[in-house]
Amino acid sequence: MSTGREHESKWPGPVVSFSRWLENLGETAFAYLLLTPVFVLLGAIAFYPLLRTFELSLFTGVLGSGEPTFVGLQNYVDLFTGAANPTLPGSVTFLPDVTTSGSFPFVHVDGWVRSTLIVTLLFTFVSVSFETIIGFGQALILDKDFSGRRWVRAAIIIPWAIPLVIQGMIFYLMFHPSTGFLTSYLAPLGLVAETNTLNDPASTFLIVTVADIWKTSAFMALLILAGLQSIDRNLYDVAKVAGASPWQQFKLITFPLVLPTLIIAVLFRTINAMRIYGLIDTVSSCTTVPSLSCMVVETFYSSRGLSSAIAFVTAGIVGIVASVVIYQRYKEGF
Amino acid sequence: MATIDGSNDSTGSNDSTEPEGGPLARWTKSVIEDQEKRERLYRALFIVAAGFFLLTTLFPFYWLLVLALTPTSRILTGDWSLPIIGIEFPHPQGFNVYAFVEMFEQVPFHLFMFNSFVLAISTTVIVLAVATLAGYVFGRLDFPGRGVLMLVVLMISYFPPAAFLVPLFDAFLGNAVVVPFLGIELFESPRLVNTPASMVLPFSALFLPLAIFILTTFYSQIPDGLEDAARVEGTTRLGALVRVIMPLSAPGLATAAVLTFITVYNEYFFSSIMALENNPENWSPLLGGILSYQTQYTTEFNLMAAASIVGVLPIVIIVIVAQERIVSGLTAGGLKE
Repeated sequence: MSTGREHESKWPGPVVSFSRWLENLGETAFAYLLLTPVFVLLGAIAFYPLLRTFELSLFTGVLGSGEPTFVGLQNYVDLFTGAANPTLPGSVTFLPDVTTSGSFPFVHVDGWVRSTLIVTLLFTFVSVSFETIIGFGQALILDKDFSGRRWVRAAIIIPWAIPLVIQGMIFYLMFHPSTGFLTSYLAPLGLVAETNTLNDPASTFLIVTVADIWKTSAFMALLILAGLQSIDRNLYDVAKVAGASPWQQFKLITFPLVLPTLIIAVLFRTINAMRIYGLIDTVSSCTTVPSLSCMVVETFYSSRGLSSAIAFVTAGIVGIVASVVIYQRYKEGF
Repeated sequence: MATIDGSNDSTGSNDSTEPEGGPLARWTKSVIEDQEKRERLYRALFIVAAGFFLLTTLFPFYWLLVLALTPTSRILTGDWSLPIIGIEFPHPQGFNVYAFVEMFEQVPFHLFMFNSFVLAISTTVIVLAVATLAGYVFGRLDFPGRGVLMLVVLMISYFPPAAFLVPLFDAFLGNAVVVPFLGIELFESPRLVNTPASMVLPFSALFLPLAIFILTTFYSQIPDGLEDAARVEGTTRLGALVRVIMPLSAPGLATAAVLTFITVYNEYFFSSIMALENNPENWSPLLGGILSYQTQYTTEFNLMAAASIVGVLPIVIIVIVAQERIVSGLTAGGLKE
């Protein structure tokens, strides 16, 4: 693997000696050298803030003023015992409101929705479930060969690709009391509040969830489609010869073979859904439907320690799901 | 079989116990027995499902167009019933194209769009440059620690941006960067809020992992022989990357670029925080423009809709032109990330 150096003679001296030095590096040293920019960037923008977030969560103090005081885990204790609730904006509690537990979310959602943790987890569960089902349907359609497939696929992808703020604006306009035509259909069914729809926690929760499903099903569809297209078509020919009905083909071939992809896609979406913030901020406000990320933003001017503690709890919850994904990938050996 | 028929029409399958029942039962029976009719039923179901998905994904955009074309006064009176049929269904009441001019008069929307493009393009350039080196290393070199380092990159992509916000905002305000748990002040960061850097830096770090995984996949597929041939000709390792591997992976680079561009253009979290006010002078992107209508012109719903349509146009064009790239990128990088 030696290299002829005559090509480099047109370059000035320092460049030649640098590239010669680079060329003579062993593979490992070369690899680490090329990875330096990545890890400098990730170190400054990700690792440093993550550690510092944890450190800040052990202090009290307001952003940019005064000396912070070390309080240990007090911020976390305050969050989980409810002592921090008065400092949190809106009438928000961090933990589930036990008195209303047992009521079905969509029938009596108020007590649930006023809790940051429950809002985030419930939103994640409901939206990811529906996205998986709808995405599977879309993927099965895109898997077929038909004329105009390209356009149908583009139409299905577009919601995924549009900016969050415009997605939020669309659903804001659809349900705004002055413009929204949908309220008059859905209010009689008891799904959304008749008046003041966008300030009602239960209604807004439902609207935000539907908006997310509308946007992100396409993403699930594309991932599942990749899984579908990797299935060996010969299996279906064999099944047809054996007299399997389309449903049996789906149950015995399609579903089991697409399942590993499906699991990865679901976990990946779960991690993303737990970040929900922008949609809530545009459609309504963070005090109406408080998600974890919402609370970080809402508190970080008033109490940096509390904000950091919520951020670190969020990171921790995401970390639990992420480690499941990483374990899966580790088993497959990358 | 039964399930598909059942989902189509449940009464039909119940009636089929009586051989010469109503027309529905006869039809059901013939569908079960006749291969050709069955295929026709599947095709009909397929068209219905495809039509349903098309309608639900595209209807919100139609709704935006309806609002944009209807003058404000008629939006507020809110009568959406169709003229002859009488059913309530949104349709344009008037043809007020002037809304698309007025939106630029009220809010300098083009400046917000310009900011978005600058942020998206500069992030894309940085991400491509850094991810190309990393993709080359992960995709083509074998060295101790490769798996662990890929895991670390992977993990970063999982964390919510909220987990990075407080210290980053602190630093970008111009406060000192402190070594965590040691209390040693390293340096005072320049005041970066209200500048492109305060957004481009977090975007680059957060969207880097996806690009790295896409490029790793593409670069690893280039046969070793091609790289070796270039090396024998006297090219350096980096020369081979630039002259052989990158041109051959042009689709991969395009994929990473398109996805990074779209993600930055769509980003909400840092875009809404790092520009302290929704002013184009503060480098507030598209998001600031759209929200300006919501906060300043609270009843000009036609302008909000018009601005949303203008803001979404670049993305629609990209999706139509580059949908192959998006699909391959999401499946190559997305399933790993």
